[in-house]
Amino acid sequence: MQGEVTGPCGMSLAQAARALRERRISSRELVAACLARIERWQPRINAFVAVEAGAALEAAAAADAALANAAACGALAGVPLAHKDMFYRAGRVSNCGSRIRRGWIAKATSGALERLAGAGALQLGTLSMAEFAYGPTGHNDHWGDCRNPWNPAYAPGGSSSGSGAAVAARLAFGALGSDTGGSVRVPAAVCGVSGLKTTWGRVSRHAAMPLCPSLDTVGPLARSAEDCAHLLAAVAGFDPRDPLSAQESVGDYVASLKTQLNGTRVGFSPTWIERDAEPEVAAAVLAAAAAMRSVGATLVEVPPPDVDTLSAHCMVVMQAESSAQHARWMRERPADYSAVVRARLEAGFAIPAAAYLETLRLRAPLLERFCSATLREAELYLLPAMNIRAPTLEQTGPGGGPQMPRLLGELTRLMRWVNYLGVPALVVPCGFDTRGLPIAAQLVGRPFTEAALLAAGHAYQQATDWHRRAPPEPS
Amino acid sequence: MAAKQLTGDTVETLLAVQGVGLAPGRGERLAQGLKASIGASLEDPARSELELDAEPCGFVLGLQQCKAK
Repeated sequence: MQGEVTGPCGMSLAQAARALRERRISSRELVAACLARIERWQPRINAFVAVEAGAALEAAAAADAALANAAACGALAGVPLAHKDMFYRAGRVSNCGSRIRRGWIAKATSGALERLAGAGALQLGTLSMAEFAYGPTGHNDHWGDCRNPWNPAYAPGGSSSGSGAAVAARLAFGALGSDTGGSVRVPAAVCGVSGLKTTWGRVSRHAAMPLCPSLDTVGPLARSAEDCAHLLAAVAGFDPRDPLSAQESVGDYVASLKTQLNGTRVGFSPTWIERDAEPEVAAAVLAAAAAMRSVGATLVEVPPPDVDTLSAHCMVVMQAESSAQHARWMRERPADYSAVVRARLEAGFAIPAAAYLETLRLRAPLLERFCSATLREAELYLLPAMNIRAPTLEQTGPGGGPQMPRLLGELTRLMRWVNYLGVPALVVPCGFDTRGLPIAAQLVGRPFTEAALLAAGHAYQQATDWHRRAPPEPS
Repeated sequence: MAAKQLTGDTVETLLAVQGVGLAPGRGERLAQGLKASIGASLEDPARSELELDAEPCGFVLGLQQCKAK
């Protein structure tokens, strides 16, 4: 069953930004509409950690005054957003989904949030996340589980759980998440929104909680590829405070959006998809390929990369670096981690340093192999976001039984390899399963091809309406 | 020489020398889990093809070299 969102929250981010600039709606009206929806939805999905109603309304009043005075306003002036509770703001609390950092006050403000503020965007509050961004399901022992707005028995995905759930339920017009092994794309996929994993270094990680510096990326979740383009346009770019920030020039992501894909070659492997994906997932992703062809893409059959080996490389790096990041607390206060996260962190201490470094040495040649083989005849590669349909919270939790480890692995199986290679990937909704849960496709490109990915996603979304569908309203 | 697998005792020792304690029996479960999660990485034949000059930080240049022309 699907719902219809009427009123201001029925607009996309792009529409809302335009309506604000044209003074057809005020920022205060948008914020009030979001706050009303948050009040209705929060008991059902626990997407927010903190709602900052007063501050958001004050910021909206200031944005309205600036817009009324025709002052120089940013592209996102007055647009209400909300972000994963790991993007620091000086003097404000960032709990990072944890007990250890509960009430911790940041000393600096995230580079990405500074850029959004510079573009005029507002923040409604902070969003649920997996403990220290180390989990793909939406469970959180310390702050309560986040739930999928399409059906609260189902996992919202993680680690940017609240970002996926809040955007899907139309509680905010967009959100930032982080993606180390699928943490933007899993929630986007199972919540039915669009999510962009950016090229490593594309968006500043300054004053964003680190998990695994060699893999961490910051990216947007929004209702469409077009909305993601607007958010990326605001946050992308070099930041000298992030030692791994890329100096690559920033594209015009919004101007690059197209309705036709003439000349764009999209590689995919229908036999691989049909063999490995559940039937409903395979059918939806192959239909997405056909829809891309209908808007001008040339489909090219290309064997898939060795996602399982590349994913295993990602695990070596992720486990070793995340354990190193948490080494002090793992020695001093291990009981303050949830059992699941502590177990993941324990594993990294057993990875030999030489194996870890050799895995990093392999990264460049394996990226070159991916680009020269898989992307030799195509600009983009299409595959499912996940081979499985969305699982329930129970199936992926401590009581999930013997199938639980396999399901957890499947959630990120088609995503971790992308982080290891450092390349960008866009997840877009491409259907619904018979239980009413979203299915998503994933497009992967060469480094710094976010503009091409967003253009392809936008063209696809002009031919389909999956991204416009909203979850049923709470009764 | 074929690579040996981690054992529970090895894992417990590795963690202990880094000051991280483990519950009894936990080392064995971690050893099994690591075999499943990273075994394919350690066995990747690409490791045998690595040049001496390949550096861990070489990936930063790799991203530049592999971007669309």
